[in-house]
Amino acid sequence: MDKFVIAGKQFTSRLLIGTGKFSSSKAMAQAIEAAGAEIVTVALRRVDITNKDDDMLSAIDRQKYLLLPNTSGARTADEAIRLSHLARAATGINWVKLEVTPDPYYLLPDPIETLKAAEILVKEGFIVLPYINADPILSKKLQDVGTATVMPLASPIGSNQGLKTRAAIEIIIEQANVPVIVDAGLGLPSHAAEAMEMGADAVLVNTAIATAVEPAKMAEAFKLAVMAGRTAYLFGAAAESKKANASSPLTGFLRND
Amino acid sequence: MFPDNKMPATVADLLRHLGVDSATVVAELDGQIIERKNFATTTLNAGQTIELVRFVPGG
Repeated sequence: MDKFVIAGKQFTSRLLIGTGKFSSSKAMAQAIEAAGAEIVTVALRRVDITNKDDDMLSAIDRQKYLLLPNTSGARTADEAIRLSHLARAATGINWVKLEVTPDPYYLLPDPIETLKAAEILVKEGFIVLPYINADPILSKKLQDVGTATVMPLASPIGSNQGLKTRAAIEIIIEQANVPVIVDAGLGLPSHAAEAMEMGADAVLVNTAIATAVEPAKMAEAFKLAVMAGRTAYLFGAAAESKKANASSPLTGFLRND
Repeated sequence: MFPDNKMPATVADLLRHLGVDSATVVAELDGQIIERKNFATTTLNAGQTIELVRFVPGG
């Protein structure tokens, strides 16, 4: 596939993987491999001193994959900024997936706090990838303050509902001068393909892969769907019409009328 | 917390005491991030608040 660039860094894969909800670190590692992913997201939480085995992420080869820490759990800009600082200390790099989700039921991102945090983090030198509702105006404002991407949601996190925000994402893609990564709610490979056919630069998938019966196989299905969707986008979809247009010749029929 | 420890305790001592691998942890002492390379030289005093965080799976 054609190269995908975020903040000057080149990637081949357009499928980002979230590491949550896998049944084991082995299943997670196999799925990341099968997805051909190069960017994997992680969260930051308090150390659980009663559970010595909670270092599930040791299964990820950090030479091979870019660990993209998120600020999940943050309800305000201040909390997201604090998490970003901790994430930078943990990874040694300044990339962050900015999430500010005060609403526990739909986990919808707070646009005002997200924009506020993004502006501060960009000034501090962070490469900011903000998770947002599919809002074209917010997307423009975020790219104007210098975020590296925008990451509009397809539908609520973990809901597997697919591209419920399609019309708004089309506008975001049309206006964007930073990569558009469709995040959250993609439940099937066909949903991912649809986003890529529309011209999304990449997609991020977690739940649909992690909770599949065979996560590695589902990861492969998503990988193929993303490649198919990207290829279709690049090489021009055929026009849609209301009436039928015969595919076979309309001459030389075996009849005499 | 360190009954046998006559020396001032450091962040590294605390992590050892808790059985936590320092290579995977970030520490914040009274709101200030302590770089991992300074774990062994940063001493802990009574009344301070330490936050220990690490990466966990997430989307």
